[in-house]
Amino acid sequence: MKLQFNLNGCHVEIEAPADTSLLSVLRDYLGLTGTKEGCGVGECGTCSVLLDGRLVNSCLTLAAQASGRQVVTIEGMSLPDGSPNDLQQAFIQYGAVQCGFCTPGMVLAGEALLASNSQPTRLEIREAIAGNLCRCTGYQQIVDAIQSTAQKRQEVNPNA
Amino acid sequence: MERFGYIRAASVSEAVALLNEPGLKSRALAGSTDIILQFRHDPHYCDRLVDISLIPELRRIEQRGGWVHIGAAATFSDVMSNPSVIASAMVLAQACRAVGAVQIRNMGTLGGNVANAAACADSLPALICLDTVANILTPAGGQALPVSQLVTGPNRTVLPPGGLLVSFSYPVPDSGSRSAFLKLGRRNAMAISRLTVAAMGRLDEHGRVAEARLVTGSATPHIERLIVVEQALTGQQPCAELYQHAANLAVDEMIRLSGFRWSSEYKVPALTAMTARVFAQVFEVGEA
Repeated sequence: MKLQFNLNGCHVEIEAPADTSLLSVLRDYLGLTGTKEGCGVGECGTCSVLLDGRLVNSCLTLAAQASGRQVVTIEGMSLPDGSPNDLQQAFIQYGAVQCGFCTPGMVLAGEALLASNSQPTRLEIREAIAGNLCRCTGYQQIVDAIQSTAQKRQEVNPNA
Repeated sequence: MERFGYIRAASVSEAVALLNEPGLKSRALAGSTDIILQFRHDPHYCDRLVDISLIPELRRIEQRGGWVHIGAAATFSDVMSNPSVIASAMVLAQACRAVGAVQIRNMGTLGGNVANAAACADSLPALICLDTVANILTPAGGQALPVSQLVTGPNRTVLPPGGLLVSFSYPVPDSGSRSAFLKLGRRNAMAISRLTVAAMGRLDEHGRVAEARLVTGSATPHIERLIVVEQALTGQQPCAELYQHAANLAVDEMIRLSGFRWSSEYKVPALTAMTARVFAQVFEVGEA
Protein backbone atom coordinates (compact mmCIF):
# COMPACT_ATOMS: atom_id res chain seq x y z
CA MET A 1 0.00 0.00 0.00
CA LYS A 2 1.02 3.61 -0.48
CA LEU A 3 2.22 5.32 2.67
CA GLN A 4 3.00 8.95 3.22
CA PHE A 5 4.09 10.61 6.42
CA ASN A 6 6.27 13.35 7.80
CA LEU A 7 9.66 11.96 8.79
CA ASN A 8 12.01 14.24 10.71
CA GLY A 9 10.34 17.25 9.11
CA CYS A 10 10.38 15.90 5.55
CA HIS A 11 7.48 14.51 3.56
CA VAL A 12 8.03 10.84 2.68
CA GLU A 13 6.07 8.63 0.28
CA ILE A 14 6.75 4.94 -0.14
CA GLU A 15 5.08 1.73 -1.25
CA ALA A 16 5.18 -1.10 1.30
CA PRO A 17 3.01 -4.11 2.19
CA ALA A 18 0.29 -3.34 4.75
CA ASP A 19 1.80 -5.71 7.30
CA THR A 20 5.19 -3.93 7.41
CA SER A 21 6.22 -2.54 10.77
CA LEU A 22 7.23 1.09 11.11
CA LEU A 23 10.65 -0.18 12.25
CA SER A 24 11.12 -2.13 9.02
CA VAL A 25 10.03 0.80 6.86
CA LEU A 26 12.50 3.10 8.62
CA ARG A 27 15.45 0.71 8.44
CA ASP A 28 14.86 -1.43 5.34
CA TYR A 29 12.91 0.89 3.05
CA LEU A 30 14.32 4.28 4.02
CA GLY A 31 17.80 3.25 5.18
CA LEU A 32 17.56 5.07 8.50
CA THR A 33 19.39 2.53 10.63
CA GLY A 34 19.68 4.71 13.74
CA THR A 35 16.50 3.07 15.02
CA LYS A 36 17.52 -0.39 16.24
CA GLU A 37 15.74 -3.70 16.45
CA GLY A 38 16.32 -5.41 19.77
CA CYS A 39 13.72 -7.77 21.18
CA GLY A 40 11.08 -7.20 18.50
CA VAL A 41 8.29 -7.61 21.08
CA GLY A 42 8.11 -4.18 22.69
CA GLU A 43 10.17 -4.86 25.79
CA CYS A 44 13.60 -3.34 25.16
CA GLY A 45 12.74 0.09 23.74
CA THR A 46 15.70 0.36 21.37
CA CYS A 47 13.27 0.78 18.44
CA SER A 48 11.65 3.82 20.12
CA VAL A 49 10.55 6.68 17.89
CA LEU A 50 8.23 9.65 18.38
CA LEU A 51 4.83 9.31 16.70
CA ASP A 52 2.98 12.63 16.81
CA GLY A 53 5.35 13.56 19.64
CA ARG A 54 4.66 10.45 21.70
CA LEU A 55 7.25 7.79 22.40
CA VAL A 56 6.26 4.43 20.85
CA ASN A 57 7.89 1.11 19.99
CA SER A 58 8.27 1.10 16.21
CA CYS A 59 8.49 -2.72 16.21
CA LEU A 60 4.90 -2.92 17.49
CA THR A 61 3.59 -0.17 15.21
CA LEU A 62 2.51 -0.77 11.64
CA ALA A 63 3.93 1.68 9.13
CA ALA A 64 0.34 2.09 7.93
CA GLN A 65 -0.62 3.44 11.37
CA ALA A 66 1.93 6.22 10.90
CA SER A 67 0.50 7.26 7.56
CA GLY A 68 -0.48 10.94 7.54
CA ARG A 69 1.27 11.49 10.87
CA GLN A 70 4.60 12.83 12.15
CA VAL A 71 7.48 10.50 12.91
CA VAL A 72 10.74 11.58 14.53
CA THR A 73 13.70 9.21 14.73
CA ILE A 74 17.16 9.65 16.19
CA GLU A 75 18.25 11.00 12.80
CA GLY A 76 15.93 13.94 13.43
CA MET A 77 17.52 14.82 16.77
CA SER A 78 20.85 16.24 15.66
CA LEU A 79 21.55 19.91 15.06
CA PRO A 80 21.16 21.26 11.50
CA ASP A 81 24.90 20.76 10.85
CA GLY A 82 24.59 17.09 11.83
CA SER A 83 26.39 17.43 15.15
CA PRO A 84 24.84 15.98 18.34
CA ASN A 85 22.29 18.09 20.18
CA ASP A 86 22.75 19.04 23.83
CA LEU A 87 21.18 15.86 25.18
CA GLN A 88 23.31 13.68 22.91
CA GLN A 89 26.36 15.72 23.91
CA ALA A 90 25.48 15.08 27.57
CA PHE A 91 25.26 11.34 26.89
CA ILE A 92 28.86 11.50 25.61
CA GLN A 93 30.04 13.71 28.45
CA TYR A 94 28.53 11.55 31.23
CA GLY A 95 29.62 8.20 29.77
CA ALA A 96 26.02 7.23 29.10
CA VAL A 97 27.06 5.50 25.86
CA GLN A 98 28.98 2.25 26.04
CA CYS A 99 28.00 -0.28 23.36
CA GLY A 100 25.54 2.31 22.06
CA PHE A 101 22.75 -0.03 20.99
CA CYS A 102 20.18 1.40 23.42
CA THR A 103 21.33 4.99 22.91
CA PRO A 104 18.98 6.10 20.10
CA GLY A 105 15.96 4.89 22.06
CA MET A 106 17.30 6.35 25.30
CA VAL A 107 17.85 9.77 23.71
CA LEU A 108 14.31 9.78 22.30
CA ALA A 109 12.87 8.66 25.66
CA GLY A 110 14.80 11.51 27.28
CA GLU A 111 13.56 14.04 24.74
CA ALA A 112 9.97 12.80 25.12
CA LEU A 113 10.23 13.31 28.87
CA LEU A 114 11.81 16.76 28.64
CA ALA A 115 9.15 17.89 26.18
CA SER A 116 6.43 17.34 28.79
CA ASN A 117 8.42 17.83 32.01
CA SER A 118 11.23 20.35 31.82
CA GLN A 119 12.48 19.72 35.36
CA PRO A 120 12.04 16.01 36.08
CA THR A 121 13.20 14.38 39.31
CA ARG A 122 15.59 11.43 39.12
CA LEU A 123 12.65 9.11 39.86
CA GLU A 124 10.66 10.64 37.01
CA ILE A 125 13.63 10.16 34.69
CA ARG A 126 13.94 6.53 35.75
CA GLU A 127 10.23 6.00 35.11
CA ALA A 128 10.49 7.68 31.71
CA ILE A 129 13.29 5.33 30.60
CA ALA A 130 11.78 2.23 32.24
CA GLY A 131 10.85 0.86 28.83
CA ASN A 132 14.42 1.18 27.53
CA LEU A 133 16.87 -1.53 28.53
CA CYS A 134 20.60 -0.84 28.82
CA ARG A 135 22.91 -3.74 29.59
CA CYS A 136 26.10 -1.69 29.86
CA THR A 137 25.84 1.47 31.89
CA GLY A 138 23.70 0.55 34.89
CA TYR A 139 21.53 3.56 34.00
CA GLN A 140 23.12 6.05 36.43
CA GLN A 141 25.04 7.86 33.71
CA ILE A 142 21.95 8.00 31.49
CA VAL A 143 19.90 9.54 34.29
CA ASP A 144 22.77 11.98 34.94
CA ALA A 145 22.87 13.00 31.27
CA ILE A 146 19.12 13.65 31.08
CA GLN A 147 19.09 15.50 34.39
CA SER A 148 22.01 17.76 33.49
CA THR A 149 20.41 18.55 30.12
CA ALA A 150 17.19 19.53 31.89
CA GLN A 151 19.15 21.84 34.18
CA LYS A 152 21.12 23.43 31.35
CA ARG A 153 18.02 24.00 29.24
CA GLN A 154 16.37 25.60 32.27
CA GLU A 155 19.33 27.96 32.69
CA VAL A 156 19.21 28.94 29.02
CA ASN A 157 15.42 29.31 28.93
CA PRO A 158 13.96 29.66 32.45
CA ASN A 159 10.41 29.94 31.12
CA ALA A 160 10.45 26.55 29.39
CA MET B 1 2.81 -11.57 0.23
CA GLU B 2 0.89 -9.57 2.78
CA ARG B 3 -0.35 -11.54 5.76
CA PHE B 4 -3.14 -9.05 6.26
CA GLY B 5 -4.58 -5.85 4.87
CA TYR B 6 -5.07 -2.53 6.60
CA ILE B 7 -7.79 0.07 6.42
CA ARG B 8 -8.38 3.11 8.59
CA ALA B 9 -11.92 3.83 9.76
CA ALA B 10 -12.95 7.49 9.98
CA SER B 11 -16.00 6.99 12.20
CA VAL B 12 -17.57 4.46 14.54
CA SER B 13 -20.29 3.57 12.05
CA GLU B 14 -17.72 3.08 9.29
CA ALA B 15 -15.66 0.87 11.60
CA VAL B 16 -18.64 -1.38 12.36
CA ALA B 17 -19.48 -1.59 8.65
CA LEU B 18 -15.89 -2.51 7.77
CA LEU B 19 -15.69 -5.10 10.56
CA ASN B 20 -18.81 -6.76 9.19
CA GLU B 21 -17.99 -6.62 5.47
CA PRO B 22 -18.88 -10.05 4.06
CA GLY B 23 -16.13 -12.33 2.75
CA LEU B 24 -13.35 -10.80 4.87
CA LYS B 25 -12.30 -11.72 8.39
CA SER B 26 -11.64 -8.30 9.89
CA ARG B 27 -10.42 -7.37 13.35
CA ALA B 28 -10.27 -4.00 15.06
CA LEU B 29 -6.78 -2.51 15.50
CA ALA B 30 -6.30 0.04 18.26
CA GLY B 31 -2.94 0.18 20.06
CA SER B 32 -1.41 -2.64 17.99
CA THR B 33 0.89 -3.68 20.86
CA ASP B 34 -0.78 -7.10 21.28
CA ILE B 35 -2.24 -7.70 17.84
CA ILE B 36 1.12 -7.44 15.99
CA LEU B 37 2.49 -10.19 18.23
CA GLN B 38 -0.68 -12.25 17.67
CA PHE B 39 0.21 -12.57 13.99
CA ARG B 40 3.52 -14.20 14.87
CA HIS B 41 1.62 -16.98 16.67
CA ASP B 42 -1.16 -17.20 14.12
CA PRO B 43 -0.45 -15.81 10.62
CA HIS B 44 -4.11 -16.42 9.71
CA TYR B 45 -5.46 -14.43 12.65
CA CYS B 46 -7.50 -12.28 10.26
CA ASP B 47 -7.54 -10.98 6.68
CA ARG B 48 -7.65 -7.31 7.47
CA LEU B 49 -7.11 -4.92 10.33
CA VAL B 50 -9.53 -2.03 10.72
CA ASP B 51 -7.65 0.80 12.43
CA ILE B 52 -9.99 2.48 14.91
CA SER B 53 -7.30 4.31 16.87
CA LEU B 54 -7.73 7.70 15.21
CA ILE B 55 -11.52 7.98 15.47
CA PRO B 56 -11.97 11.06 17.71
CA GLU B 57 -15.11 9.71 19.40
CA LEU B 58 -13.22 6.60 20.52
CA ARG B 59 -10.49 8.69 22.18
CA ARG B 60 -12.83 10.95 24.14
CA ILE B 61 -12.93 10.95 27.95
CA GLU B 62 -15.69 12.97 29.57
CA GLN B 63 -17.77 13.24 32.72
CA ARG B 64 -21.47 13.64 32.02
CA GLY B 65 -24.55 13.12 34.18
CA GLY B 66 -22.88 11.34 37.08
CA TRP B 67 -20.90 9.01 34.82
CA VAL B 68 -17.40 9.05 33.40
CA HIS B 69 -17.28 7.84 29.79
CA ILE B 70 -14.00 6.66 28.33
CA GLY B 71 -13.64 5.91 24.61
CA ALA B 72 -12.39 2.39 23.98
CA ALA B 73 -9.39 3.65 21.99
CA ALA B 74 -8.22 5.98 24.77
CA THR B 75 -4.65 5.00 25.57
CA PHE B 76 -3.41 4.15 29.05
CA SER B 77 -1.48 7.46 28.96
CA ASP B 78 -4.70 9.33 28.09
CA VAL B 79 -6.64 7.68 30.93
CA MET B 80 -4.01 7.97 33.68
CA SER B 81 -3.54 11.69 33.05
CA ASN B 82 -7.21 12.62 32.66
CA PRO B 83 -8.42 14.98 35.43
CA SER B 84 -11.92 13.41 35.62
CA VAL B 85 -10.44 9.94 36.04
CA ILE B 86 -7.90 11.10 38.62
CA ALA B 87 -10.61 12.91 40.60
CA SER B 88 -13.14 10.09 40.54
CA ALA B 89 -11.22 6.84 40.19
CA MET B 90 -7.62 6.80 41.35
CA VAL B 91 -7.83 3.00 41.11
CA LEU B 92 -8.14 3.23 37.33
CA ALA B 93 -5.46 5.91 36.93
CA GLN B 94 -3.05 3.80 38.99
CA ALA B 95 -3.93 0.63 37.07
CA CYS B 96 -3.23 2.33 33.74
CA ARG B 97 0.04 3.68 35.12
CA ALA B 98 1.03 0.13 36.10
CA VAL B 99 0.87 -1.06 32.47
CA GLY B 100 4.19 -1.72 30.70
CA ALA B 101 6.29 1.41 30.19
CA VAL B 102 5.75 4.77 28.49
CA GLN B 103 5.93 3.29 24.98
CA ILE B 104 3.23 0.69 25.68
CA ARG B 105 1.04 3.13 27.62
CA ASN B 106 1.21 5.60 24.72
CA MET B 107 -0.14 3.01 22.26
CA GLY B 108 -2.07 0.44 24.29
CA THR B 109 -5.76 1.14 24.83
CA LEU B 110 -8.36 0.38 27.45
CA GLY B 111 -10.54 -1.32 24.83
CA GLY B 112 -7.67 -3.52 23.70
CA ASN B 113 -6.87 -4.54 27.24
CA VAL B 114 -10.49 -5.56 27.84
CA ALA B 115 -11.03 -7.24 24.45
CA ASN B 116 -7.83 -9.26 24.86
CA ALA B 117 -8.94 -10.12 28.39
CA ALA B 118 -5.60 -11.46 29.58
CA ALA B 119 -5.84 -12.87 33.11
CA CYS B 120 -3.15 -10.35 34.09
CA ALA B 121 -4.74 -7.33 32.34
CA ASP B 122 -4.12 -4.44 34.71
CA SER B 123 -7.19 -2.40 33.81
CA LEU B 124 -9.73 -5.19 34.36
CA PRO B 125 -9.77 -5.30 38.19
CA ALA B 126 -9.99 -1.50 38.30
CA LEU B 127 -12.83 -1.31 35.77
CA ILE B 128 -14.75 -4.07 37.56
CA CYS B 129 -14.14 -2.43 40.94
CA LEU B 130 -15.86 0.68 39.52
CA ASP B 131 -18.85 -1.35 38.21
CA THR B 132 -17.91 -0.25 34.69
CA VAL B 133 -20.26 -0.94 31.82
CA ALA B 134 -18.93 -1.62 28.31
CA ASN B 135 -20.83 -0.05 25.42
CA ILE B 136 -20.76 -2.25 22.33
CA LEU B 137 -21.97 -1.48 18.82
CA THR B 138 -22.98 -4.17 16.32
CA PRO B 139 -24.79 -3.80 12.97
CA ALA B 140 -27.97 -4.70 14.89
CA GLY B 141 -27.51 -1.79 17.31
CA GLY B 142 -25.94 -0.86 20.60
CA GLN B 143 -25.80 -2.83 23.81
CA ALA B 144 -24.36 -2.27 27.24
CA LEU B 145 -22.80 -5.01 29.33
CA PRO B 146 -20.98 -4.86 32.67
CA VAL B 147 -17.26 -5.54 32.10
CA SER B 148 -17.51 -8.37 34.66
CA GLN B 149 -20.00 -10.11 32.37
CA LEU B 150 -18.25 -9.19 29.12
CA VAL B 151 -15.01 -10.87 30.24
CA THR B 152 -15.88 -14.46 31.11
CA GLY B 153 -12.39 -15.87 31.67
CA PRO B 154 -8.75 -15.63 30.63
CA ASN B 155 -8.71 -14.45 26.98
CA ARG B 156 -12.47 -15.08 26.76
CA THR B 157 -15.18 -12.49 26.20
CA VAL B 158 -18.75 -12.54 24.98
CA LEU B 159 -18.07 -9.64 22.61
CA PRO B 160 -20.32 -10.51 19.65
CA PRO B 161 -18.58 -11.27 16.33
CA GLY B 162 -18.34 -8.05 14.36
CA GLY B 163 -19.09 -6.06 17.50
CA LEU B 164 -17.01 -3.02 18.36
CA LEU B 165 -16.18 -1.89 21.88
CA VAL B 166 -17.06 1.79 21.72
CA SER B 167 -16.65 3.05 25.27
CA PHE B 168 -16.67 2.31 28.96
CA SER B 169 -18.86 4.09 31.50
CA TYR B 170 -18.59 4.01 35.26
CA PRO B 171 -20.77 5.85 37.79
CA VAL B 172 -18.88 8.59 39.62
CA PRO B 173 -18.33 7.08 43.10
CA ASP B 174 -20.17 8.67 46.03
CA SER B 175 -18.48 11.67 47.56
CA GLY B 176 -15.82 10.65 50.10
CA SER B 177 -14.93 7.48 48.23
CA ARG B 178 -11.27 6.62 47.86
CA SER B 179 -9.73 3.94 45.72
CA ALA B 180 -6.35 2.38 45.07
CA PHE B 181 -4.62 -0.22 42.90
CA LEU B 182 -1.60 -2.30 43.82
CA LYS B 183 0.43 -4.47 41.48
CA LEU B 184 2.96 -7.14 42.20
CA GLY B 185 5.36 -7.93 39.39
CA ARG B 186 8.82 -9.41 39.22
CA ARG B 187 10.36 -5.98 38.79
CA ASN B 188 9.19 -2.39 38.99
CA ALA B 189 8.70 -1.69 35.30
CA MET B 190 7.69 -3.65 32.21
CA ALA B 191 6.44 -6.49 34.40
CA ILE B 192 3.52 -8.80 33.73
CA SER B 193 1.33 -8.72 36.82
CA ARG B 194 1.70 -11.70 39.13
CA LEU B 195 -1.08 -10.34 41.28
CA THR B 196 -3.09 -7.13 41.46
CA VAL B 197 -5.70 -5.73 43.83
CA ALA B 198 -8.20 -2.95 43.16
CA ALA B 199 -10.11 -1.52 46.09
CA MET B 200 -12.56 1.26 46.77
CA GLY B 201 -14.22 2.39 49.97
CA ARG B 202 -16.01 5.10 51.87
CA LEU B 203 -16.52 5.82 55.57
CA ASP B 204 -19.78 7.01 57.17
CA GLU B 205 -20.09 9.99 59.53
CA HIS B 206 -19.13 7.74 62.48
CA GLY B 207 -15.93 6.65 60.82
CA ARG B 208 -17.26 3.16 60.04
CA VAL B 209 -17.02 1.49 56.66
CA ALA B 210 -20.07 2.56 54.63
CA GLU B 211 -18.93 0.78 51.49
CA ALA B 212 -16.02 -1.42 50.49
CA ARG B 213 -15.12 -3.05 47.20
CA LEU B 214 -12.33 -5.46 46.34
CA VAL B 215 -11.34 -7.06 43.05
CA THR B 216 -8.24 -9.16 42.45
CA GLY B 217 -6.38 -9.69 39.18
CA SER B 218 -4.29 -12.72 38.14
CA ALA B 219 -5.87 -14.57 41.07
CA THR B 220 -9.16 -16.05 39.86
CA PRO B 221 -10.32 -17.30 36.44
CA HIS B 222 -13.24 -14.90 36.40
CA ILE B 223 -12.52 -11.37 37.61
CA GLU B 224 -15.32 -10.18 39.90
CA ARG B 225 -15.98 -8.19 43.05
CA LEU B 226 -15.34 -10.31 46.13
CA ILE B 227 -18.68 -9.71 47.83
CA VAL B 228 -17.84 -11.85 50.87
CA VAL B 229 -14.88 -9.60 51.66
CA GLU B 230 -16.88 -6.44 51.00
CA GLN B 231 -19.70 -7.50 53.33
CA ALA B 232 -17.30 -8.40 56.12
CA LEU B 233 -15.91 -4.85 56.07
CA THR B 234 -19.20 -2.97 55.87
CA GLY B 235 -20.30 -1.35 59.13
CA GLN B 236 -16.97 -2.05 60.84
CA GLN B 237 -14.46 0.36 62.35
CA PRO B 238 -11.40 0.40 60.07
CA CYS B 239 -8.26 -0.95 61.76
CA ALA B 240 -5.32 -3.22 61.01
CA GLU B 241 -7.14 -6.29 62.41
CA LEU B 242 -10.10 -5.65 60.13
CA TYR B 243 -7.83 -5.39 57.06
CA GLN B 244 -6.16 -8.64 58.11
CA HIS B 245 -9.57 -10.31 58.44
CA ALA B 246 -10.51 -9.01 54.97
CA ALA B 247 -7.20 -10.31 53.62
CA ASN B 248 -7.83 -13.80 55.03
CA LEU B 249 -11.30 -13.83 53.44
CA ALA B 250 -9.87 -12.67 50.11
CA VAL B 251 -7.41 -15.58 50.18
CA ASP B 252 -10.25 -18.02 51.00
CA GLU B 253 -12.17 -16.68 48.01
CA MET B 254 -9.14 -17.02 45.72
CA ILE B 255 -8.69 -20.66 46.76
CA ARG B 256 -12.42 -21.36 46.46
CA LEU B 257 -12.59 -19.88 42.94
CA SER B 258 -9.23 -21.10 41.58
CA GLY B 259 -8.43 -24.16 43.67
CA PHE B 260 -5.06 -24.60 45.39
CA ARG B 261 -2.65 -24.25 42.46
CA TRP B 262 1.11 -24.51 41.97
CA SER B 263 1.37 -20.75 42.45
CA SER B 264 -0.77 -20.63 45.58
CA GLU B 265 2.13 -21.05 47.96
CA TYR B 266 3.37 -17.71 46.60
CA LYS B 267 0.03 -16.03 46.04
CA VAL B 268 -1.51 -16.70 49.46
CA PRO B 269 0.94 -14.62 51.51
CA ALA B 270 1.21 -12.07 48.67
CA LEU B 271 -2.54 -11.55 48.41
CA THR B 272 -2.83 -11.38 52.21
CA ALA B 273 -0.31 -8.56 52.40
CA MET B 274 -1.64 -6.72 49.34
CA THR B 275 -5.28 -6.82 50.49
CA ALA B 276 -4.41 -5.50 53.95
CA ARG B 277 -2.21 -2.80 52.39
CA VAL B 278 -4.74 -1.64 49.79
CA PHE B 279 -7.51 -1.27 52.40
CA ALA B 280 -5.13 0.65 54.65
CA GLN B 281 -4.54 3.04 51.72
CA VAL B 282 -8.25 3.39 51.05
CA PHE B 283 -9.46 3.90 54.61
CA GLU B 284 -6.58 5.61 56.38
CA VAL B 285 -6.85 9.16 55.13
CA GLY B 286 -3.54 10.92 55.22
CA GLU B 287 -1.56 7.71 55.59
CA ALA B 288 -1.88 6.44 52.04
